[in-house]
Amino acid sequence: MTRELDLLQGTLDVLVLRALSWGPMHGYAVARFIRQGSTGTFKVLDGALYTSLHRMEERGWVESEWGISETKKRAKFYRLTAGGRRALRAETDSWNDYVAAVGRVMTAAPEPAVETA
Amino acid sequence: MRLPFFRRDVQREIDEELRFHFDARIEELVAQGMTPDDARAQALSEFGDVNQVRSRLREIDDRVARRRQRADLLDVLRQDFTHAARSLRRTPGVSITIILTLALGLGVNAAMFSLLDVLFLRPPALVAKPAELRRVWRYLNFRGGEGQFWSGFDYTSYAAVRQALEGSAVTALYRVPTKMSVGAGDNPGSAKISSATASYFRVLGIKPAFGRFYSEDEDRVEGGAPVVVISDGYWRREMGGDRAVLDRKIVLSGVPYTIIGVAPARFSGVDLDAADIWLPLSTLPGRAGDRNTPWYRNPAVNGFQIFFRLLPDARAPEVEQRVTAALRHVGEGGRQDTAAVVKLGSIILARGPGNISGEMRVAERLGGVAIIVLVIACANVVNLLLARAVRRRREIAVRLALGISRSRLLRLLITESVLLAGIAAVAALGAAAWGGTLLRTFLLPQVSWAETPLHWRVLSFALIAAIVAGVLAGLFPAVQSRATDLTNALKAGSRESGSHRSRLRSMLVICQAALSVTLLVGAALFVRSLSNIHGLGVGFSVNDLAFISVTPRGGEPTKIQAAAIADRLEQLEPRLATLPGVERVSFVSMRPKSGIQFAGPYYPEADTVVRRKPAPIFTAVSTNFFAASGIKLIHGHTFPESRGQLTVIVNQAMADSVWPNQDPIGRCIRFEKPDAPCVTIIGISETAILSHVREQPSPQMYLPLNNMPLSVWPSREIVVRVNQTRLNATLGNVRALLSAEFPNAIIQTNTMAKAMEPEYRPWTLGATLFSLFGALAALVAAIGIYSSVSYAVNQRTHEFGVRAALGADSRSIVTQVLGEGTRTVAIGVAAGIVLAIATGRLIASLLYGVSAWNPFALALAGTAMIVIAGLACIAPAWRAARSDPVAALRAE
Repeated sequence: MTRELDLLQGTLDVLVLRALSWGPMHGYAVARFIRQGSTGTFKVLDGALYTSLHRMEERGWVESEWGISETKKRAKFYRLTAGGRRALRAETDSWNDYVAAVGRVMTAAPEPAVETA
Repeated sequence: MRLPFFRRDVQREIDEELRFHFDARIEELVAQGMTPDDARAQALSEFGDVNQVRSRLREIDDRVARRRQRADLLDVLRQDFTHAARSLRRTPGVSITIILTLALGLGVNAAMFSLLDVLFLRPPALVAKPAELRRVWRYLNFRGGEGQFWSGFDYTSYAAVRQALEGSAVTALYRVPTKMSVGAGDNPGSAKISSATASYFRVLGIKPAFGRFYSEDEDRVEGGAPVVVISDGYWRREMGGDRAVLDRKIVLSGVPYTIIGVAPARFSGVDLDAADIWLPLSTLPGRAGDRNTPWYRNPAVNGFQIFFRLLPDARAPEVEQRVTAALRHVGEGGRQDTAAVVKLGSIILARGPGNISGEMRVAERLGGVAIIVLVIACANVVNLLLARAVRRRREIAVRLALGISRSRLLRLLITESVLLAGIAAVAALGAAAWGGTLLRTFLLPQVSWAETPLHWRVLSFALIAAIVAGVLAGLFPAVQSRATDLTNALKAGSRESGSHRSRLRSMLVICQAALSVTLLVGAALFVRSLSNIHGLGVGFSVNDLAFISVTPRGGEPTKIQAAAIADRLEQLEPRLATLPGVERVSFVSMRPKSGIQFAGPYYPEADTVVRRKPAPIFTAVSTNFFAASGIKLIHGHTFPESRGQLTVIVNQAMADSVWPNQDPIGRCIRFEKPDAPCVTIIGISETAILSHVREQPSPQMYLPLNNMPLSVWPSREIVVRVNQTRLNATLGNVRALLSAEFPNAIIQTNTMAKAMEPEYRPWTLGATLFSLFGALAALVAAIGIYSSVSYAVNQRTHEFGVRAALGADSRSIVTQVLGEGTRTVAIGVAAGIVLAIATGRLIASLLYGVSAWNPFALALAGTAMIVIAGLACIAPAWRAARSDPVAALRAE
């Protein structure tokens, strides 16, 4: 599988990892973080977000633990692991490369076609 | 520690997480001014397909849970083992004693199992689907004795069986491997040769490693091809594993053969005894039998084993009937047996239905004995672990107080004993490899074994036995410590409070003593049987008798050659007789115990023939045979030196059976025809055994070697009575003289003692091995008694100290400890004697001349056990006597 494709599919993972880099939070807080950050530019289905969280837990990037939310209810909190932090760094770098590459393509002028005799 | 995950928890947690999400989102939207219904709808639409997400999450979390469970389990196991190892290292003395005791018990069992496995359980290596193979057995009344199943057949019977099974099974025939000389020249080697039909390999499903096996064409009854197949072992050992071995010549008993193939590695025939060389049935050199009848029509050549592969759709009883019918109508030349009863048996010979040898029956019993040794060893381990657990009461109580679960404590304790047993098993396998080889050579010395005793089956047996022993031995102390009363334990320190624990330990000592006594009784009974059997008269002298044969090299001698040798030997008689160490010299047609010679029909002159006329068994002997062999003449005299009137000597059994209550001397026996010349009976000899120590007395005739009334062709051997103390040197002298006289002959010497050895072996084995195992058992029991008494003494140091302070002298303390120790053992001894009486019938059939309930043996074993117990108690008793009163009082 190519790197570019991974990045597109892994975009949501990066966002979630990014959210958790601020500290442990429950799924709903992660959803709120992404919703506010994107300011409506793109939409993420909350279901996909939970799938991403659980998948990353399986991969060992995040850990979960039951705790008490700010509204005094039982909630499942997620925390980045060392592996998750490493993944975040790697994914952020790739993401920046990707953005830069897309940016270059978007700003480049087409080369004139050369006629050959 | 992480709580273990369970499937229903997984689903519940997912639902709870999602519910929290929806509650929070709806609450937020309502706070922004939406109606609850709108808010719910919006939250759902933001989420996507709830059910799909739920099942997706479930999938992921199940995987996670499963992986975690596995990791937890491994982690716990690792922790348990590290912990157990650490705690065992803290008491190295106890741990080592436990390991050695268990290693002994397991080693004895693994060695025994390795033997019983090859004897009774493991089919021959490499044979395809051994369960389909059947051996043919026939019920025979042999020489008027008790009948039994025999697996040996003559060739005509085989032909009949083969024909009867035509189309439904392929039959094969072979002869059990026999030792034969290989190679030419002065120094021929020897190999185990088995002759077999061409179908042998096909029926067994064996393919050659290279080369080929012989074909039906090369195995024709008249004119088979002189070709051989050699075993992989023989090929490597004797031919250096040279692949160019095909077409090479090999000389067997003076006859050249061509090697055409090598059998695959590990295949060594279907018997315990490994075959080195197979050759077509029809070309076996040095065949026994009569000159006039070819081997394949001679019912006396009957050592052939028949087996076949039962096809899947064949019904065994029906096949059995067909074989029976075939054997009842054996054609010309065969042994007519209209009452033949046939049984099909396993390819594993020892499974019967025929009688198994005395050695194997002893081996069976020893299997049980080995298990008893293991039980005694386990009792010891339980005892030591119990004592250890008491010393650790404080530690265990602290752990319990700190909240370790009782089930985990149980697991820890069992892990410890399993770990001990595991280490012991490794040590035991080393012992078993050595002991197994020893047992084999000891029990069945004539067998050349194809494989080493350490087989994967033995390994798994040892492993399973170790785990079972470990769990069982660990369970007792573990269950005991579960009952630990926390407060008491913390208060009492390492001193024992309850009495039921010491009762359990006494029980164990009683058990050990009882089982040891049982084994010691067995040992005493076997020793007694052995001495009885040795005391049994066999008719001839055993320890100072030797036989020498002279045969020309290169196959069987011609009649002329044999006669020439016989004449020369007779001339040498005076020189032989004067060799240092030689006491008597004579000649005999066939040495006692090596075989039976049958005369043709004979007609005794008698008033009445009370019973059936005895078989015409005879031996031709020279004049001083009776003096040389030690067979006594009861009446009459031996043969005269000169050839005059024909005479015969009969043995007591013959006299009793043909002329009961009469004097046969002076009567006639006519040989071959009723009107043949009268052969006068001139003497009656003692009845010597024919083949076994315990047998029906066999009527037998002795004929003069120099004046035979029969036209049979006796070969002859030299009988020498020698000075027992110089047996080997004397035989060396005889050999030297004969080698000089007969440079082209093979000179073989046999001693009667060696020939008789297999007769005594079952009892020798029973006596030695029961004694050995009994001694081991008693040793282990002694260790048990010692550790239990010295533990009890340690527990009561305080009490002894106080008593010493109150003025008790050391002798009374020693007496007390000894008394208490031996009293417990005495109960065990009583139980053991009851047990020995109850189990006596298991070995009764193996004993000779002593009942399994012999009071002397019972008393001897009991006394021995008490003495051993007393010895084991001395050191702890001495320690008790020296208890320091001051220390005891200070500790109070």
